[in-house]
Amino acid sequence: MKFALLIYGDEGSWEALSDEGRAQMYAQHEAFGSWLEESGYDRGGEELHPSDRAKTVRADGERITVSDGPFAETKEQLGGLYLIECPSIDDAVEAARRLPAQIVEVRPIVGSEERPD
Amino acid sequence: MRYLLLIYADERAQADVSPDQIERLMKDWWEYEGWLRETGWHRAGEALQPIATGTTVRVRDGQTLTTDGPFAETKEQLGGFYLIECDDLDQAIEAAARLPAAPYGSIEIRPIQEFEVPEPGS
Repeated sequence: MKFALLIYGDEGSWEALSDEGRAQMYAQHEAFGSWLEESGYDRGGEELHPSDRAKTVRADGERITVSDGPFAETKEQLGGLYLIECPSIDDAVEAARRLPAQIVEVRPIVGSEERPD
Repeated sequence: MRYLLLIYADERAQADVSPDQIERLMKDWWEYEGWLRETGWHRAGEALQPIATGTTVRVRDGQTLTTDGPFAETKEQLGGFYLIECDDLDQAIEAAARLPAAPYGSIEIRPIQEFEVPEPGS
C-alpha cells in the first residue's frame, strides 16, 4: 500500500529556529530518509517553501482567479511530504511517528487498480 | 522551477456524482495528465483516498498520539497532488487552471525547496 505522509507544522516555530536548530532538523530528516531507504519504503519526498509563497488558483467557467497564500489559513501549514510504500497503515503510522514533525497526516493513496478505466 | 499543485475539493459534493459523471470526470483527468506529460512538466502525481481513511500522528513528550481523520477540518479537503517542473509561476498557474478540479475546487501552488547536494567526499 502507498501512503502520503503530510507534514504540518507552525511555520513561526521554524522561522524562530537558529541555524544550528535547523541543521539538527535536517540531520533528523536525513536519518529518517536513510531509515526509509533501508526499510524499502521510500518513494520520494519534498520540502515546500513557506506558505506565504503559495498561490491559490480557482476557476469559475472561463474566469480564473489567482490569490496569494495557501488555500486555507490554519495554524499549522503543510511544509512537506513523503511518499512511502509499506504493508499496512500501522507501518505507515510507525514511519510517521519517527518523523521530526509536529503533526503528520497519513493518507492512503488511490492505487491504479482502484481507478475506473 | 519545481512546484507542488495541491488539489482541494469538497469530498461530500463528489459523493453524489453518478457513475456516468465519474466516467466523464476520469476522462477529463486522463486528458489532463496526457497534456501535462506532453508539456514535459509532469514529475509525479497521486490521488488520495478520502479523509475518513486518514490517520493523524502527533508525538508529544515521546508519546505517539494517533487520531482518525485529517489534521484540520476544512470545507475542502486535499484529494491529490501533482509535482511539476516548469519555467516559472505563470506556467504553474496555467497547469493549475487546466486541472479538472479547478472549476469546483481550489488548487494551491507551492514552490519546492531546492537543496544543493554536496559533492561526495566534500
